[in-house]
Amino acid sequence: MPPSSDRSTSATVKLHRALYVEEAIADAAATFADFAAFAVQSDGEHFVVDVTDINRDVDGDVVAEFCNFALANTAIRRKSDV
Amino acid sequence: MSQTQIETLDPASATLTLSLESSLYPRDILYAAAYVFLDRAYVLLDKKEGRFIVHLRGKLPVDEAALRAMAGEFANELLAQALRQRVVKANQRIIDDVTTLAIAGAAGGTPEHGSDDTLMIDEQNPAEDGFLDDPLGIATPWEPKKKDA
Repeated sequence: MPPSSDRSTSATVKLHRALYVEEAIADAAATFADFAAFAVQSDGEHFVVDVTDINRDVDGDVVAEFCNFALANTAIRRKSDV
Repeated sequence: MSQTQIETLDPASATLTLSLESSLYPRDILYAAAYVFLDRAYVLLDKKEGRFIVHLRGKLPVDEAALRAMAGEFANELLAQALRQRVVKANQRIIDDVTTLAIAGAAGGTPEHGSDDTLMIDEQNPAEDGFLDDPLGIATPWEPKKKDA
């Protein structure tokens, strides 16, 4: 589950490489760059995303919304690749 | 093990974890089903031991019944998307033909089997176009007037 960032200013998310496209993750990170800092690296079967400096004043869950964006971007990219 | 099953369910955190047999559900169908839920839940996909793991967390507080309903809706959405993909595949040729015809028409082209001879309005005698009577003279072509001007 995407870790809730309600109380913390940092979180780590693991996104499976078979299910998420790296460019889609980068796009999502760019979208949320104003609300947190994102560092993406590969680790075995997963992309590990370290989210730091999460802006707690933002209304909503930045990390979970980031995960939704990464998934949506991946779905759109994979569909356009067909 | 069943095809789709609830692994965890926690109303307190509004979270739900489902697992799906990955050989039964192509990845594109999983994406399509997950996409439908993005507006009301946070979705995280994972893969473990040949099964897709779907983590869902409601954006609003939900009780156990609502979470179980969400699990059922996700399973239904998987089936709906699988059927949708099958129908699209079966009708791909028709979809391509109709789209090509529409684009050709919009671009002013004519279909391969048509030609200018098939124009339905006689430009020299538009009253004989065979469509409608024109008692108010609205359908008067403007080209002749332009020539006179």
